[in-house]
Amino acid sequence: MPPPFKEEMELIEKATKDFEEGKRRNIAVISDPFYGESELLEWVWERAGGGALRVKAGSLKEDFEILERSSAKIAIVEEAHRLYLRKIGGFDLMDRFINFVSSSERLFITTWNSFSWKYLDEVLGIGQHFPMKIELPGMDAGKIRDMLLSGYEEGELTFLEEEEDETEEPKILKRSSFKISLLGERIEIPRPEVDLSSIRSRFHKGEEKRPPMEIFFGKLARISDGNPGVAELLWKEALDYPEVRNSLIDLPSIDLDLDDSFALNVILSMGSVDLAALSEVLEPTGTSAERAAALLEERGLVFIDGEVVSLRAEALKRTAEHLRRARLVW
Amino acid sequence: MAENATAPLSGPGGAIPDIGIDSSTIISALLLLAIAYVAVRVAVFLLGWLSERAYEHRITVKMAIPIAKLAIYGFAIYHILGSVFQLSTTQLIAFSGLAGAAIGFGLKDLVAEVVGGVVIVLDKPYQVGDKVRIDDQYGEVTDIGLRATRLVTPDDNLVSVSNQRVLNQTLANANAGSQEMMVVIDLFIDSASDASRAMEILREATVTSRYVYISEKRPVTILLKDYPFYRRVRSKAYVYDLRDEFPFETDVTKRAWDSFEAEGIEPPKAGIVDLGGGPAAGGG
Repeated sequence: MPPPFKEEMELIEKATKDFEEGKRRNIAVISDPFYGESELLEWVWERAGGGALRVKAGSLKEDFEILERSSAKIAIVEEAHRLYLRKIGGFDLMDRFINFVSSSERLFITTWNSFSWKYLDEVLGIGQHFPMKIELPGMDAGKIRDMLLSGYEEGELTFLEEEEDETEEPKILKRSSFKISLLGERIEIPRPEVDLSSIRSRFHKGEEKRPPMEIFFGKLARISDGNPGVAELLWKEALDYPEVRNSLIDLPSIDLDLDDSFALNVILSMGSVDLAALSEVLEPTGTSAERAAALLEERGLVFIDGEVVSLRAEALKRTAEHLRRARLVW
Repeated sequence: MAENATAPLSGPGGAIPDIGIDSSTIISALLLLAIAYVAVRVAVFLLGWLSERAYEHRITVKMAIPIAKLAIYGFAIYHILGSVFQLSTTQLIAFSGLAGAAIGFGLKDLVAEVVGGVVIVLDKPYQVGDKVRIDDQYGEVTDIGLRATRLVTPDDNLVSVSNQRVLNQTLANANAGSQEMMVVIDLFIDSASDASRAMEILREATVTSRYVYISEKRPVTILLKDYPFYRRVRSKAYVYDLRDEFPFETDVTKRAWDSFEAEGIEPPKAGIVDLGGGPAAGGG
C-alpha cells in the first residue's frame, strides 16, 4: 500500500531526461521518518534498469569507494542522513560525500530524513548541491483512506463505532499545585489545570453522527500527521479483518528535560540509531545514552531492539511537536 | 462631593476652590490604590507563569507585564482623579500647581524615575526577559517597575537600577526582544598549533551543541586573530534561549578543548595571554 507518488515520479522522470540531455540536477527526496519513500526509489531503480547504482548510505561507512568504482551514470543513495553524526568529527564522511557529489558527473538521487536535512542545510549548506528538492507532503484523511482501502472492495470492511468508557468521563479541570517560598517556607498552593485532550475529546463527541469510517480516517490523519507510513502502521493495528476497531488514541504531550530531549532529537533525526552511535553523541555532554534510551522507551517514544534505538511511529507527531516547541529542531 | 466642590472658601488671596476631600474620599482613593496593587501583583504572577510555559513565545508574553502594570496603575489614577475626587478643570489646574510644587521641592527624583519607567515601557530599549548590561551590571531583566528596573545577574543577585539612571546610561541589550542571543566564545591557542584545525574543531563543537540555533539570519562565524605569542579562535553563534548562554559556552569550550588536546593543539604558554585591557580584549 505505498502512497501514490505521481507528482514526484514526474519530477524525477523530468530530471533524468534533462540529465540525458546534459543538464544535471541532483535530487534530494526529503521526508519525515516512516513515510515510505523507499517505494519511490524502487520505482526509480526499476526504471533505470542496469544504468543505476543503488546503495544504502550506511554501507558507505564501510566502503565509500563503491561510489568511485561504479560506472553507473545514476547513483541512488538511500538515507543519506546516515553519513553524519552530531558530534565533533561527525561530519567527515558527509563532507566527503558532498565533495564527491559536487565533483562527479553522475546524477545523484538521494533520500533524506527531513529533520536531518534542515539541520545539515543550515550547518553545511547541502541544499546547494541538490538543486531539485522533492519534499514529500503530508496526506489528508481522504488520500489516506484511498491509499489504505485501495486493496478492498466497497463494504468489505466494517468500521466499528468508538468504544466509550462511560464510567470515567475525563475532567476538563484537574487539580494541580505549585510551590512558592514565603518567609523561608516552601508552601504548596493548589491551582486548577486545564486538560486540553479532554476538551478535544468532548468536541469530537459531535462526530458521533458522522459515519464511523469518516471518523476513523479523520482521527488517523490527525494522529499520523498525514504521514502515510505512520498511518499504515496504525491501520494494521486497528484492522481485525473484516472489522476495523476505532481505538486510535492521541498520545499525551511530552515533558522531558533538555538532555533527554536532545537524545530524542538525535533519534528523530536518524529514525533509528545504534546505542554506540548515540553514546558517541551524548557522552561528551555528560549524558548516558543507555539511561536516556531507557527513559524514552519507558515514556513510549522509542523502542530498543538489541543495540538499536528506534522512534515509535505513533510518537512521531508528538515528538516533532515537542522538539519544535523546545526549539531543538528548526 | 460635587456640591462641596463648588462652595468657595474665602482667604486673603481670594477664593480657593474646595476640592471636597473628606475621610471617605481618601479611604476610597486608598482602597482603589490597594485594589490596583493587588491587580498588578495578580497580573504579573499570571503573565509570568504563562510566559514560562509559552516556550518560544516567553519574551513576547513577558513584554505584556510592564504594559499591564502601566495600564492598571494609569486606570486607577485616572479613576481616583475623575470619579473619586471629581475634579473640575479649575481644581485640576490647582492640583497640578500643587503637584508641580511638590515635585519641584521634594519628589523630583521619584517623579523622574516614574517618568523614566513610562519612557522605558513605551520606547522599549529593553523588555522583561532581555539580557542587558546597565551601569556595569549584566543580567536578565525580571521586572520593569514604576521606579526601578530589576535584573538577575548570572550569580543570581537581584540588582535594582533606577529608571532615571537607566535612561542616562549607555545600555547594551544582548537580544533586543528576541529569544535567541549571540554568544561569543574565545579560545586561545599557542602560535605553533594548527590554527586551521582548531577553527574546524571549534566550528564543529559549536554547530553540534544542543543549545545552538542556526538559521540564515543567525549564522555561525569562526574567526582567527593573531597575537605576538598566541592566537585567538573565536566562535560567534546563537543560542535558542538566552538563558542557555553560559551552559552553551561551557559545552562548546569543554568539547573543543577535549578535541584540541586529542589533536595536539596546545594552549598558550602561561603568562602570555592578556585578558585585561590588552590586545586579547580587542574586538573582531
